[in-house]
Amino acid sequence: MVRLLVVDDEADICDFVKKFFKERNFDVEIAYDGKEAIKKVESRKPHIVLLDIKMPVMDGAEALKAIRHIDSNIKVIMVTAVEDVELAEEMKSHGAIEYITKPLLLEQLERIVLTVAEQIKMAA
Amino acid sequence: MAEENNGKMSRGDNWLKLQDWIVEKMKNCDGALIPMDPENIKQREEPELDYQFFLENASRTMIRFKRPERLIRMIVRVLDEQVKVTHTAMLMYAKEKDSFVLLDSKGAEGTKIPVGFIRMTFDNPLVRLFHERHNYKISETGAIGYKELLDVLQRDEDVKNDEELAELIGLSIKQMELLKATICVPIYYKKGLRGVFVLGKKLSNVKFSRQEISFFTTLANDVAMALSNAELIQDLQEKIFEVHSLYEREHRIFIHTSISLAAAIDARDPYTHGHTERVTRYALAIAEELEDLPEANAYRNFRETLHIAGLLHDVGKIGVPDSILNKKSQLTNDEYEKVKEHSVTGAAILYPIRELGDIAREVRAHHERFDGNGYPDGLKGEKIPFIARIIAVADTFDAITSDRPYRQKKMAEIAIQIIKDNSGTQFDPIVVSAFLLAYRKGKLANSV
Repeated sequence: MVRLLVVDDEADICDFVKKFFKERNFDVEIAYDGKEAIKKVESRKPHIVLLDIKMPVMDGAEALKAIRHIDSNIKVIMVTAVEDVELAEEMKSHGAIEYITKPLLLEQLERIVLTVAEQIKMAA
Repeated sequence: MAEENNGKMSRGDNWLKLQDWIVEKMKNCDGALIPMDPENIKQREEPELDYQFFLENASRTMIRFKRPERLIRMIVRVLDEQVKVTHTAMLMYAKEKDSFVLLDSKGAEGTKIPVGFIRMTFDNPLVRLFHERHNYKISETGAIGYKELLDVLQRDEDVKNDEELAELIGLSIKQMELLKATICVPIYYKKGLRGVFVLGKKLSNVKFSRQEISFFTTLANDVAMALSNAELIQDLQEKIFEVHSLYEREHRIFIHTSISLAAAIDARDPYTHGHTERVTRYALAIAEELEDLPEANAYRNFRETLHIAGLLHDVGKIGVPDSILNKKSQLTNDEYEKVKEHSVTGAAILYPIRELGDIAREVRAHHERFDGNGYPDGLKGEKIPFIARIIAVADTFDAITSDRPYRQKKMAEIAIQIIKDNSGTQFDPIVVSAFLLAYRKGKLANSV
């Protein structure tokens, strides 16, 4: 089972995305900030991380670096507000494989994550 | 209270409960309540309380509000509480994003679609299905059920033969799965899709009844009506603003014309240079102390009328020959009579302008005396228009304190004494007190 870590400070979003991907056969974990995300990356070794850019404690940009440091094979997908597209682009140069802007198209979120999951299964 | 139904609540009780209930709902959704007519409600057949009844009536009252979002929020909230579904959400078109976003959403943990999280564009198959009105090929009400869509796709021969439509329906089914929607109800306004009302499964797993679905359609129509009303109100406000700016502009032009005219009059009389401007200023300062009086409130626009009357009070001097205006020695009786004509001439000049009817009256009377010994009509006391009484004091104050060919310049203190001495004879005592008050406050400083 592909392990997915959802990192967002909004509980509603975490819950929704968790249920959404659980129903699509993912093993889903949740973290509400960057620091918690790093702990979960270390303990749960997710294949994919959905990482919100704007968060308290440790933001997405910092968390991205730390996650990549722990394991550069983890596929990180940034989730960002439309206003922060430039920052998201920059994140791609720091190792994020993709970014999605909020409010997002649900089918796009599904497609991107499922595609990455397929690639992971193929490689395994 | 008559107990018509054995064991059941009377309608009066029902009504009270209903009202309390709606007030409570409205509190939650930050809305105001227009009281409803209990008579209308009594006409309903079933005495039982039901949420549809509440919502229908509540939304009828809310349609008139400026912010349709309130109605939408209330609908989502009430349906969430009363229909007991896994989740409800209202997607509304957002112009700035050119897509449909969630305006409100309710539901259990993980099922509730987070507000601000998703959007749908016009490329979205479900949006297209509604926007292009394919939904009416499937259901009479326009509301679409998930099962219905599956059914149509599998059994309807027309759909099977229309590849494009079949594909669109297939993709719409997929969209409803993404949203976990059992029912989607479109909201149309001005021929376009403006919103989609999304409902999940009933917690009881019971199917939605026909009646329920038609009720949701009614609610969607109410939302459309609310949107339309809000837009009308917005339009109306813009029109009012437009008219107001036009009025303001016209008013400014008018004031400036009056100022120009006043300057033209002043220019003919070098000894009274700036007189009109000062009298207007003094009169406005005195008026400030009188604004609360019923005499002031009797004017439709006290300040404005006073302002223009002040500027134009001497307009009649146009008819006084230069030889008299510029004369340095004392005027003869005949010459003085000629000067006195200026208030009547002024009124005659202004009278034909309908909008200045009020002002002509004031101009005509600005040399009347409170004791009835003034000119041209010998009006007495309250018979003299109020603004004219104010201008009389302001006019006298300026005449004494500024240079005139026939009088030495006197100090303000002397002018004050003269005005005080003539309170009740030449001047209205109320106006004199206001004048003294304004003077003490430093509002009558001769700065020109």
